[in-house]
Amino acid sequence: MTTLAITINGRAYGPMDVRDNLTMNDFLREKLGMTGTKFGCGAAQCLSCAVIVDNADGTSYTSPTCVVSAASFNGKSIRTVEGHAKNGELSALQKAFIDHFAFQCGYCTAGFVNEGQVLLERLAKKPVARADLEKTIAEALDGHLCRCTGYIKYHEAVRDVILADPGRYLTAKGDRVQRDQ
Amino acid sequence: MKSEMRVKILVAVAALLTGMLTAHAASDDSLATPESFAAIGDTRARSAALFTELGKVLSHPRCVNCHPAGDHPHQGELGRLHQPPVERGADGHGSAAMRCSVCHQRANFDPARVPGHPEWHLAPREMAWEGKTLGEICAQIKDPKRNGGRSLDELVHHIGTDTLVGWAWAPGFGRRPAPGTQKQAGDLVDAWVKTGAACPN
Repeated sequence: MTTLAITINGRAYGPMDVRDNLTMNDFLREKLGMTGTKFGCGAAQCLSCAVIVDNADGTSYTSPTCVVSAASFNGKSIRTVEGHAKNGELSALQKAFIDHFAFQCGYCTAGFVNEGQVLLERLAKKPVARADLEKTIAEALDGHLCRCTGYIKYHEAVRDVILADPGRYLTAKGDRVQRDQ
Repeated sequence: MKSEMRVKILVAVAALLTGMLTAHAASDDSLATPESFAAIGDTRARSAALFTELGKVLSHPRCVNCHPAGDHPHQGELGRLHQPPVERGADGHGSAAMRCSVCHQRANFDPARVPGHPEWHLAPREMAWEGKTLGEICAQIKDPKRNGGRSLDELVHHIGTDTLVGWAWAPGFGRRPAPGTQKQAGDLVDAWVKTGAACPN
């Protein structure tokens, strides 16, 4: 057994004892009942299980939960798909996914929401040139597998959120500018 | 012949065959000691033979899979491309969106069959062993320009005690460890260095 203390969507959980061999995915879904994060391949290939991990320096990244232990998240702060809407209001990205009919069965969607959100936050700190946008989105979402949709509407949804606020996410005239937080 | 005697003979033959097969497997998975090369009189030849024995470790999948010729690690006994299709990234620790440490934690996680170590990463490109002959690996491993700036003594320490190297002998569920033990490999490197660090042809 190992002690786990973790912040999920701004709420502290633990410290509690968890089995050393408990995956993070099982911890979320079975122990906490947070079934928004899915179990797909169990091999970190489909990324339907990915959650956002927030670093202390304000950066974030996504992490699979199916192949990593819950214990390895001790002390970390994460966001799951359940944490994106605030006071019942969907995030801009979630609304875009709906408006674009970006998902069908929805099984991969949590992963795409988390990855898209990490991308938006990264671009807000370090904008990219408009000419590089499609490639940037493709690289960010690369690895997330979807059996239903053919991916295009996910990409278009993310792109249109960015293009709706170019001053925030894109550089001016192709220059790369690093914005302070 | 009575059936009871037939059964006894069959059991004895089966035990003998199993013993022979086990012995064969053990020899593939073991490393010879430096002392066992003493019979080779020529020092250079003995040195090269020591390295050839060490080559059983260096050419093992546990090592070659992360010393690839390209920018993607391999996995498994057959060295297939790593799935998911991850890449080296700028620093050998994965791309920005998929760092090695995201899945490979500080230790093996057997429930998911994922190996782990605090410094999980690819060996630098100049340390690629995939597709190389033992002689080529030997030349690279001795070259400070291509071995991380290490002296021969530092090589002995690296192979004999580095914990990421040591992972090869404790690779976790479903993976065959490198032959012998890390100490035995370190002893071979030490003996190889002491005999002039000659490379096999």
